[in-house]
Amino acid sequence: MELFSEIYSCYYQVLRHLLSRRDAVTIQEICTGIADEGFEESMLSIIPKLKDGSWNLFGRDKDLYLSRLTQTFLQPLSGLQKSYLKALLSDPRIGLFLEPEQKTCLEHMLSDITPLWKPEHFCYYDRFAGSDPYQDETYRNHFRLLLQAQKNNQYVDIDYTSPNGRRVHHHYIPARLEYSVKNDKFRLLALKHTGRQKMRLEILNISRMQSVRLLGKTFAPETDLNAVIRNSYYKEPLKLHIVNKRNALERAMLHFANYEKNTSRIGENTYECLIYYNQTMETELLIEVMSFGPMVTVVGNEKFLGLLKARLQKQMRITPREIQETPALPQ
Amino acid sequence: MSDFQELIGSFPKTREYIRDFFVYGFKTRNDFTQKSPRTYDNERRRLECWLAPYVRKDHASDGSNISLAIDSNLLDTNPLFGVWKTKSFTDNDIVLHFLILDLLQDGAKRTAEEITDSLLTNYESLFDIQIVRRKCNAYTKEGLLQKEKNGKTVFFSLDNTLAVWIKANENVLDALAFYQMAEVFGIVGNELSEQLDHPNRSFRVKHNFFVHTLEDEILLALLDAMRRKSAVELTIKGVKNKTVVTASCIPLQIFVSTRSGRRFLCAYSRRKRRFTCFRLDSIKHVAALKQTDSSEQSEDAAEYDRLLYKLSQNRTKLWGVSFQNDEGKHFTDRLTMTIQILEPDENYVLTRLKQEGRNGMITQTAPNTYQYEVETFDCNELLPWIRTFTGRILSLSCSDQSVERRFYEDLQTMYQMYQVTEV
Repeated sequence: MELFSEIYSCYYQVLRHLLSRRDAVTIQEICTGIADEGFEESMLSIIPKLKDGSWNLFGRDKDLYLSRLTQTFLQPLSGLQKSYLKALLSDPRIGLFLEPEQKTCLEHMLSDITPLWKPEHFCYYDRFAGSDPYQDETYRNHFRLLLQAQKNNQYVDIDYTSPNGRRVHHHYIPARLEYSVKNDKFRLLALKHTGRQKMRLEILNISRMQSVRLLGKTFAPETDLNAVIRNSYYKEPLKLHIVNKRNALERAMLHFANYEKNTSRIGENTYECLIYYNQTMETELLIEVMSFGPMVTVVGNEKFLGLLKARLQKQMRITPREIQETPALPQ
Repeated sequence: MSDFQELIGSFPKTREYIRDFFVYGFKTRNDFTQKSPRTYDNERRRLECWLAPYVRKDHASDGSNISLAIDSNLLDTNPLFGVWKTKSFTDNDIVLHFLILDLLQDGAKRTAEEITDSLLTNYESLFDIQIVRRKCNAYTKEGLLQKEKNGKTVFFSLDNTLAVWIKANENVLDALAFYQMAEVFGIVGNELSEQLDHPNRSFRVKHNFFVHTLEDEILLALLDAMRRKSAVELTIKGVKNKTVVTASCIPLQIFVSTRSGRRFLCAYSRRKRRFTCFRLDSIKHVAALKQTDSSEQSEDAAEYDRLLYKLSQNRTKLWGVSFQNDEGKHFTDRLTMTIQILEPDENYVLTRLKQEGRNGMITQTAPNTYQYEVETFDCNELLPWIRTFTGRILSLSCSDQSVERRFYEDLQTMYQMYQVTEV
């Protein structure tokens, strides 16, 4: 079973779509298809092969290309893909998607396949306790309704209990379902109208939803979640200086790899890293930065720096002076 | 650069470049000293081809550099999956792929001779029978085709029942959309989704560390050895000093950090007679060490199960991935942190302690005061987490005094760095 194989190649995908067309296509249409799905310079490799017949996959009628395939092309699953599917069947979250009879049917079709992995092969050693109740029927129903609404661009009516116990009840646009690997929980990225054609992003834990109801009203599919998220980012990013000691640079780069960031060298062994974030990420980011201790230095923005200093100030206040003094190690 | 090719034959070399570009994102041409500038230019150009929408170019004082601007909060896919779709192939490979699979879509069994004849009559494509047979055999090995012998005659056929069933069941397609983002080997789910024309538009993953997909080939080889309960020889490139060494070990489990996405192989070293962890991104190659006969195999399997049991016992004393402290001691140390939580307003801090404290014990010692206590092999590993409670820590003590000292020293350093003084 090869992970890196030409049968999964981007070029094969591009060609599959072109070959599945039943009508004759021009070279310009082929170029458009390649530009849409291929890599930046794929056209330079693919077009000459089609033109000179090295890839004899199209019949030619003057300037038109007609697929030689006789039907819509459906590639069978490889051993690797079957093995992957089989592994997913052991995952507790699969019940959020598959009905019991679908699961049984899939199990039957994959009965002679060895799963690519088993849950016991992995240990997520720093995952938080208290994952979502994936077996709970109400939870499953809420999950499915939200997914349905998200796919069909439908508004939903959600009755929600916030972490501080406050009950809220609103109509939302379900933009995406977000899964947290660290928390093993699902959240809804929901957009809420705030008046004057503006939207606000709210993040709602699915396990805290008391009820979810689909509304008949639909929204325009072009509602741009990313624009809302980007607009929510602070104009001034978090600015960190990292001195590359104790492998701090690589650790920081990997640790903050899930944020949009920009790093540059500003001295012989010193680097500056800009991290873009919004208010909902602030506390988590502060905690992550604190975990590095003195290995990274926050130099901006002022707000973030203020939050960090406040924590340190509080720490200094509550730690008795005699404890703050570094204890000597026994000789 | 006239011989530039967008596709590549081998993955490991490119993996290094992408990792450096992705993780660091500030290396210029002059920083890549291990290979010639020409190699750097070609690798960079390929990377720009594959990941064009995410490449950012900046001009630094010591030359221009490129980096990958990837914000996982804004993406429905992992852009680095594209790197897995770059395997080069021959003209025959791609033509035979489409024609043979198209021909066999009807499910009928055909010999290599019949397939070769049909390629000429149905598709006007002339191929040598040996080439066709080789491709059919290769596709049988990949699981795309079935091979059946009747006497001396070999038949090939295609069974598309599973692909048709999945395409007709949207729930399964939704599951694939989710798992490609959230589970190991997301690349397989992603390719399957693409193949079935159902890209993910519903799920995002918080705390997604895209770069680790680059280690999936190594992970695949390790899981295979774990399934067979066999030993392996690892080729490891040191993260800090870049030296290459080999290590023989019995692979037992993959440890995953959800906070950094880092993955480790937890293995048993017979030579050192202890458990040890290797970062997956430092492993360059995995070679299975084969058992010679069946009695050796069953002996190895019994030893494997004993080691797994022993590991499960040891894991309760493990904070992260270290089975020994800085001085190489293998016994456990005890760390105690007393922390201030103003109730009820700061109850979320208590929730954090409970959710994140793993095997530690939490006791309320006075109003608004809690004690967290844990026994573990390497208390150094706790320090990053302990520091996240800065502002609430009333005291910290550890039987490994170097940990305690480091904590307070770091705190003092931070007070100085940020000019925090008593008010």
